[in-house]
Amino acid sequence: MVRFVLFRLLQSLIALAILSVVVFVLARATGDPLHMILPMNASAEDYANARAYLGLDRPYLQQYLSFVGRAVTGDFGTSIRARRPVIELLQERLPNSLKLAAFAMAVSLAIAFPLGVMAAVHKGTGVDRAAQIVAVLGQSLPTFWVAIVLVEFVSGRLQWLPAGGADGLASYVLPGFTLGWFVVAGMMRLLRSGMLEVLDSEYVKLARLKGVAERRVVWVHALKNALIPVVTFAGIYFAILVTTAIVVETVFAWPGLGRLAYDGITSRDFPVIQAVVLVTAILVAAVNLCVDCVYALIDPRIRYAR
Amino acid sequence: MNITRRIIVLSLLVLAGTASPVWAQAKSELTIALSSFSAETVDPALQGHNVKYYLSLMFDYLVGVTPDGQPSQQGGLASKWENSADHKRWTFHLRKGVKFHDGTEMTSDDVKFSLQRAMSKRSTTGYAGPLRTLIADIETPAPDRLVIVTKEPTLIIPTYLSRSLSTEGMVLPKKYIEANGDDAFARKPVGTGPYKFVEQVVGSHIKMTAVDSHWRIGVPKYKNVTFKLVPEETTRIALLRRGEVDVADVSRERVKELEKDGFPVHMRKEEALIHVWWILGPDGRTPPTNDKRVREALNLAIDRNEIAQSIFGGYAEPAAIPMGLSWSFKDVGFKVTPDLAYAYDPARAKKLLADAGLAGGFTQDVYAFQLPGFAEGKAFAEAIAGYWEKIGVKSRLIPVDYPAFRKQWVDRKAPGAVGYYNVANRDWIGAYAFLEKQGYTPSKLNDTVNDPEVDGMLSQVLRQTDRDKINALMRNVYTRLRSEHHGVPVVFVHSPYAASKTLGKWNPGSVMYDLFLDELARR
Repeated sequence: MVRFVLFRLLQSLIALAILSVVVFVLARATGDPLHMILPMNASAEDYANARAYLGLDRPYLQQYLSFVGRAVTGDFGTSIRARRPVIELLQERLPNSLKLAAFAMAVSLAIAFPLGVMAAVHKGTGVDRAAQIVAVLGQSLPTFWVAIVLVEFVSGRLQWLPAGGADGLASYVLPGFTLGWFVVAGMMRLLRSGMLEVLDSEYVKLARLKGVAERRVVWVHALKNALIPVVTFAGIYFAILVTTAIVVETVFAWPGLGRLAYDGITSRDFPVIQAVVLVTAILVAAVNLCVDCVYALIDPRIRYAR
Repeated sequence: MNITRRIIVLSLLVLAGTASPVWAQAKSELTIALSSFSAETVDPALQGHNVKYYLSLMFDYLVGVTPDGQPSQQGGLASKWENSADHKRWTFHLRKGVKFHDGTEMTSDDVKFSLQRAMSKRSTTGYAGPLRTLIADIETPAPDRLVIVTKEPTLIIPTYLSRSLSTEGMVLPKKYIEANGDDAFARKPVGTGPYKFVEQVVGSHIKMTAVDSHWRIGVPKYKNVTFKLVPEETTRIALLRRGEVDVADVSRERVKELEKDGFPVHMRKEEALIHVWWILGPDGRTPPTNDKRVREALNLAIDRNEIAQSIFGGYAEPAAIPMGLSWSFKDVGFKVTPDLAYAYDPARAKKLLADAGLAGGFTQDVYAFQLPGFAEGKAFAEAIAGYWEKIGVKSRLIPVDYPAFRKQWVDRKAPGAVGYYNVANRDWIGAYAFLEKQGYTPSKLNDTVNDPEVDGMLSQVLRQTDRDKINALMRNVYTRLRSEHHGVPVVFVHSPYAASKTLGKWNPGSVMYDLFLDELARR
């Protein structure tokens, strides 16, 4: 098991090293950040001064080595746009993204679980069809559109909930629901198909024959066994929710990692882009590693089959 | 009531409690939601004029201005100023007893330090370059007196250090910065303005709290002022409707709806000129736009009234002078007579193209991008491309973001291609500074004109000390830019700011990138 974990860790480190080169090169290929921070009437001298001050006049290799050397100690440099250490910006934003993702995941679980189970138990009925519609809408309606509609009507017209910001529990509801709905669809379908398979299994039939109450058969015996793929899915999706909420964070003015990435990209803020991509990759790699380890613990064949 | 219902009811009660509209609270807060904070730095030396709207609350300028942009001896830290007979020594008399937010008294040492910092190589402010060229020495003969010595006779020093231009005139605390360092100052700035810094969360908000009493405002009306960064307009409007913000910048197309719903909309009239130009090649203009007739044809092909109505919802006025900023016209006595306006005349445009040997038209690249305060950017690019198509000029629209376009422009890698900008309107000195960069060949990087006659006149403005002669030079520059069609001035756009129903009277003024929100704080 230790060898397995070390091997996967090594794979993750190689992936991160390659990613650091890719993001370093791509960030610089898209333009010059000085065009954003210097005023339109800046002279060639202003450009030269700013380039030297920000260290952008050094050879690319030197810049890359400096970036990697500092990144391994947690120092991602200084934001070109905000002129603050990037690590401070990450410390401000990452917790907000984690909290929003946790809320969205809780919403998803709260909706997907009853829907998925009910759809499986009442297969082919109106309940099943309604659950399928929820799933289809969740996956097909563009997140941007859902977010705008919620802001316009629930917040702007009905004035029930805050439209933006991260102040208090109420401000989580609209962005959390918008972010979570997409996940509901996948989770609900996974749970439904898992439940259908389990409900048809021999041990469930035996439980019924033994006279166990139907509610207990469904919610205890069947659900427990249908949960394994859903838990895996939820784990991976949590990392995705943290790292891909750009649209939701922008519409709801949520100060998270997605907005930081978006602002970094639009202003060619290399240190921020590099840091966000690396942190995102570390997060995803860590979650994947955990999932792999859990799988390996559950099913020893995975350990030996690598 | 079963347990599920209880949980639902309790949850709704908790949400209702936490989500009650802010207008229920006492209004000692002023909250402004904006689509962009620009660079989001709170150090005046690290950004130029486009961050003035929040910095102007924390810092005072050496020279104040009225909301309509006139220098004011009441509005700045200098209560009066005078120049020597040779216009090379400018003496500023400073107010006594003005204190920074950390309790230290503001003196001429602070002003000198601030100016040197604004001119340092680290500075990225709008006009650091010209000040470096111009200023020879700064003397501090007394704590309340500062003398600026220039290399050349000039009239522009007070304006360059005033609130009407960029951030170079903001006065910073020398001792605080020297003791704590630039980075600490950029995290927790200290000024002499009516509001002191509380907190900044980059990408989210900037919070300030009122000083007990300010030399200019008195006791500020609002205890706290918060600027919220809200990129999405629907969200800004929803926040306004819920009473969570008091001022929000909105697009021109939402103005009528908001006014109908009773929200006052304050217009910054002619806030920006939507100006179109052709990128120069390494040696200047390239065919076919090196032909004056072609440039005129491209101007005549555009129906400015229709653009004002259809793209800008009627909140725009046709423009007539390439690079001509209307707030400067009155300063220099320039009048836009009816004969200067570009008529919409596609027939004459076609004839001009035929005269230039281009009866079959030609093809050009048009970069399409959006800019802060100019959400209509791409629609605008499509519209002008459509007008040019009608006279046989095929336009290839290239969707990019602004930094990508700017690289093409300053690197001169796409000669003859078309770009545009919403150039902030400004007074004569600001207009001169703009022309000196974008219409002056020696500036190289940003030049879009390349005309020796314009260069000759602009080079005289800075050295001229007779205001009448400066005015004549500026008028002649405008006349030349118009007669040579050095660009396509399309419209002046009005910028709307929606306010809460309880905000009261507010004059957002007509100073570049300044909303005069401190005037709202005056009791």
